[in-house]
Amino acid sequence: MSNRTTTAASERVAPLGAMGGSSLRVPLTLVAVAIVVVVGAVAPTRFAGDFVLRLANEGLLLGMLALSVAFLMNQAGLVALGAASIYGGSGLLFAIAMNDWNLPPAWALCAAFLIIVVYATVLGALIVRTNPLAFMMLTLAAGEMISHAVMLEALRDYTGGADGLVVSFKGTVFGMEAADFASPARFWVVMWVAAWLSGLALWAVGRSRLGAILRAVRENEERMRFSGFDTYLPRLIAYVLVNIVAAVAGLLHVLNAGFVSPESLGISVSTNSLVAALMGGIAGSVGPLLGGVIFSFAQDEFGARGLTQLLTGIAIVVFIVVFPRGVVGGLSSMAWLRKLAFGGRRETS
Amino acid sequence: MIALLIANSLALASLLIMLASGLALIYGLRDVINFGHGAIYMLGAYLGYTVSLVGGFWLALIVVPILLALLGIAFEYLALRPLQGRSHIEVALVTLGLGIILGQVIIFFYGGVARSVDAPQILSGSVTVLNLSYPVYRIFLIVMGLGSCALLALWLRYTSSGLYVRAVSQDPSVARMMGINADRLSLLVTSLSTAFAGVAGVLAGPYLSIDPGMDVTMIVNCLIIVVIGGTGSIGGAIVAALLFGFMQVAGSVFLPNIAALVPYILLMIVLLVAPRGIGRGRVLN
Repeated sequence: MSNRTTTAASERVAPLGAMGGSSLRVPLTLVAVAIVVVVGAVAPTRFAGDFVLRLANEGLLLGMLALSVAFLMNQAGLVALGAASIYGGSGLLFAIAMNDWNLPPAWALCAAFLIIVVYATVLGALIVRTNPLAFMMLTLAAGEMISHAVMLEALRDYTGGADGLVVSFKGTVFGMEAADFASPARFWVVMWVAAWLSGLALWAVGRSRLGAILRAVRENEERMRFSGFDTYLPRLIAYVLVNIVAAVAGLLHVLNAGFVSPESLGISVSTNSLVAALMGGIAGSVGPLLGGVIFSFAQDEFGARGLTQLLTGIAIVVFIVVFPRGVVGGLSSMAWLRKLAFGGRRETS
Repeated sequence: MIALLIANSLALASLLIMLASGLALIYGLRDVINFGHGAIYMLGAYLGYTVSLVGGFWLALIVVPILLALLGIAFEYLALRPLQGRSHIEVALVTLGLGIILGQVIIFFYGGVARSVDAPQILSGSVTVLNLSYPVYRIFLIVMGLGSCALLALWLRYTSSGLYVRAVSQDPSVARMMGINADRLSLLVTSLSTAFAGVAGVLAGPYLSIDPGMDVTMIVNCLIIVVIGGTGSIGGAIVAALLFGFMQVAGSVFLPNIAALVPYILLMIVLLVAPRGIGRGRVLN
């Protein structure tokens, strides 16, 4: 075990077992979390109007995308600019599976999900072995590839081209009808639970052995290889994992909106989720989700004046320049304060 | 037929070479991929449109690169230099953000409609070479592209500043130890790179349409070329641009249904066969 205590592994805040310390703290935390989950699921549907709920739903959808971007950035040091192709792609596949393959909704959902996961795996197998900068370029290129493919004349009958596709289904998915998904209040409960589950799942992975290996590879891939670790597979698993979260978000989006547009595959969705991740902070699960919600409300405030994209660009620059320790590579508030206090030279990365 | 195909792909490759070699130059010195390069190219195209309306195409071809070289100097002083100590990924993200800002500012001023520029009188029409009629403007494009490519190669190979650039690109720390001022070089290279983007933008006017989506299209094409060529290798970028241009043009002739996907297929194949690209770029980490 001793050879596995790399810098990153020892940097972990606390092993999972030591979290409670005393036997009382764990149940208390759990109870607190449970209360937040239940209240969060029920309270907004009572007090908030449909408009606010709709914005919040969109925010959590974007938050799930931001979560996937942030996890990969924080744990693996990889920036993915192709979240949109998974998000829009899964929704589009769901629509195609129902319209053209005549699958029942639940099966269509599974088929779309499986195809997207296979796609993400194949793409990941090709691109995670490159360096982080090339990875960033390649995810951007792959995203553009999908959005071009959707617009192809030959595939127009399937994808609907620039018009997009209407998604209407009869019967139930997970015991809910189409009208239930379309209702902001009922969808909020689904969305809230999905956001929590994906947040918890990624948080747990981050604290697991896989997370430790990922961070160690992020710090120094060569050293990890010399130490006898496979550096390829963990990154591939992480890439597939975050794309699963993005795919779930995409499917939920289509179930809610009842429509899939080619814009949901566009590059702006990817940059929006990046901004949401930077805004909320990439360490942890709550930040990105919160960032998504903030983005959604901010977009409502400024989007009418056509400023969304401009503000997205400004936000990327500001959030990266303002965090002196660097957003990629783990943001710890202590180091940030120390840097402010002493103004010392930044450690080389 | 084949000659026409090659000529067309050379014309497209000329633009791509100017942009991709600019990217590779900055990358070599700063280890940064400038994701805003597409927006700078777009700015070049729109400025070219305006200047062409006022003073004609030839004036645009001189004025716009100078303006963009100034922009490159500002980019160097205000973005690249202050962020020198930050991780390359972060700087790349900042350039992405700056590119989005620039693109939006351009759209704000020019609106969302496509524009077109007419080629000057001398360059319009077509000429017959070897029984083939071919547009003069594309020949001009090829001459400009290959000419700038040759100038770049001569500069890198035979001048002392070119030698320094190659040295820093090969090994930054050793080059600095030998007393090369990388900051001053970077200023030169960045302004050169944006000036090239300006030339490409002006040249693109009469050849392609000027529209608000041109920045994303071009940056994605250039990134594909840079990856195929081996990140940071200028020679690789040039070869990759030629290959890319040929595939794109041949794709639109032989596989019109999936022509838009051909570059990506090329990229995937190269990644499968040679993950580091075809050139001998500096292995980075």
